[in-house]
Amino acid sequence: MKKIAAFVLSLSLALGLAAAPAPAAEAGDITLDVIICQYGPNTNDWFLGTGMNGTNFVDKFEAENPGIKLNLDVVSWNDVYTEVDTRIANHNAPDILNIDVFANYANEGLLLPVSDYCPEELFADYFPSFIDQSVIDDTVWAVPDLASARALFYNVDIFEEVGVEVPTTWAELRDVSQAIVDYYEGEVYPWGIDMTTDEGQAAFAYYTWGNGGGFVDENGEWAVNSPENAEAIQFALDLVADGYTNPNPATQTRYDLQDMFAAGKLAMVIAPNQLPTYVADKGGEINMATANIPANEGKASSSVGVMDRVMAFRDDEAPDQAARNEAIGKFLTFFYNPENYVGWVSMEGFLPAVNSAVEALVEADPSFEAWLDVLGGCQFYPTAKAEWDQVKQGVIKAEQSALAGGDIQAELDALQAEITK
Amino acid sequence: MNPLPKRKPNWRPYLWLLPSILLISVFVIFPILIVFRLSFSEISKAGVVGGFIGFQNYIDAVNLPAFPTVMMNTFWWVLSVVGLSTLLGFIIALVLNQKFRGRKIARSILIFPWATSLVIQASVWNYIIKYEYGNLNSVLLNLGIIKEAINWRSSYQIEFVWECAVGIFVTIPFVAFCVLSGLQSIDESLYESATVDGAGFWDKLFNITVPLVRPALSVSTVLNIIYVFNSFPIVYTMTKGAPANKTDTMITYLYMLSFYDRKKGPANALSVIGFLILCLCAGIYMISVMRKEEAL
Repeated sequence: MKKIAAFVLSLSLALGLAAAPAPAAEAGDITLDVIICQYGPNTNDWFLGTGMNGTNFVDKFEAENPGIKLNLDVVSWNDVYTEVDTRIANHNAPDILNIDVFANYANEGLLLPVSDYCPEELFADYFPSFIDQSVIDDTVWAVPDLASARALFYNVDIFEEVGVEVPTTWAELRDVSQAIVDYYEGEVYPWGIDMTTDEGQAAFAYYTWGNGGGFVDENGEWAVNSPENAEAIQFALDLVADGYTNPNPATQTRYDLQDMFAAGKLAMVIAPNQLPTYVADKGGEINMATANIPANEGKASSSVGVMDRVMAFRDDEAPDQAARNEAIGKFLTFFYNPENYVGWVSMEGFLPAVNSAVEALVEADPSFEAWLDVLGGCQFYPTAKAEWDQVKQGVIKAEQSALAGGDIQAELDALQAEITK
Repeated sequence: MNPLPKRKPNWRPYLWLLPSILLISVFVIFPILIVFRLSFSEISKAGVVGGFIGFQNYIDAVNLPAFPTVMMNTFWWVLSVVGLSTLLGFIIALVLNQKFRGRKIARSILIFPWATSLVIQASVWNYIIKYEYGNLNSVLLNLGIIKEAINWRSSYQIEFVWECAVGIFVTIPFVAFCVLSGLQSIDESLYESATVDGAGFWDKLFNITVPLVRPALSVSTVLNIIYVFNSFPIVYTMTKGAPANKTDTMITYLYMLSFYDRKKGPANALSVIGFLILCLCAGIYMISVMRKEEAL
């Protein structure tokens, strides 16, 4: 008898693993599956814990919007692509997704047009230049959730000690780097470069945009192998070869560079606006200032804007499409309500994507204003183009191959041929 | 003459096996079948599975520019990690089988690298060999052994050697404990009688120890080939295959291919190729071991 009981118990355990009960929802309720990316240590607490003045986003939303339940997951950036791809492959895409890319999902007919669910008043609140980044075939497929802008940060004390000015051109950058190397005899790296799989595409943007090149030409067609691009990346590679940079750009990520900067071991680094907070969290006391990213002689300096998005997936099996769209709209309206949104953006030190948040943010931290100006002049990655994933990984591989001794022009030619075939 | 009593069919063993069979089916066999199916299907960048496309994914996979490098890396990775960890683990097991003070403590310490998560191990080694403020450089500088910090990761070839070294470090305990269990089952009297017959250390090692621990060593080697071939955390944590897949092994490469390059079809095909290679290696090894054991 005992044996049979043990058997039944083990069988039920085995089956139980495969069939955990779903959380109960009342009849008539709409449940939205939401995936939010983890931007920092506070994201999870804000959405699901007690980080929103003792409560959290989900509880507050559900209290204010009866009839709509949120099944919200906060997923790390490392896992989110795997998670979303797996869910799509299993016909279980989330209703609302917060991520950076959108073109593949839009091109494959998986997304709802923003006009189907976004209330007009809210739509008018987004910065138009941000909305433009999410348009394919005259349709807006995603809305921006937040942004960050990159600028050159430099260690003021090191510059004063060596007696040099902040470089604005590539030639000056080389001179200043040489002066820092000479003064500190190699103890301080003048310049930081990240060509890792994390952000090698940002390095590509910093140098090529500063040389009149870029990912696309003036017609918006891919032009990764332009002579300007090859010259720009070669300039960066020469900085590495001449000992002006961190020694291993293929494996040292931006966070490694920021750590070095916080430790006073790196004089200049291109970083997002959150760098001062990051350095303070690391216990660093660096006297830092910002400047434009140096460009080649006669070429305009350009900052890099990074923007993430919120998008809604189609669910053709949803019984009431209109009610579902309305629920998604309510989610967005609640999220971007300044009462909630300002806390969210400032908590992680990002820049806002809607006008209504600007005033409150500048009031709380006047340094935001300067960054909003930087953001206004930013260029963005061409994420609306279907081949962007391929190009992003392709330019990183080209940089890394060139770091390992390959020819950058040949690498970029091969990439251009692959993406335009 | 009484006929043999008719035996009642005994269903119990099957019933007891059922939970395990169910679990293995759901978590092992079913995913393998899905990967096989996906490897012959067209898969979009977003992961939408399309129709049957024959061997196209396999053709695309082997024609990828990084494929030869990745296969060579995988070969050296498995050979060096399994080979050297087996050799070193064997030697350590011999030492730990001797009677000395603190033997229990030494055995406990040995298990640490194996009991710690591989991601933590790899991250710790990343810190140890860091150029800027790595522990290795600090220690060597403080001891006056080196005058200037050394860039321990100055080329991708050296980085790959570091990955193999960490792989060996974390695998040694597993081999040592497998061999140790084999050593402990050898009857002491065999060594005593060999000593009486005038056998030296090497005679005893090759004529008593090695043949008798061979079953334990066979098990550890087969399992190691599978573990090491499939090992993901060390390479991914230390280099992510950089620069340009030059330090990738097959497992990290197919992950990058699927989730970074979004070439999901070829990634599934590579997965199947890896599975078949492992089946082949394990099969050949097991057959050869079984033949030797039968011959003994």
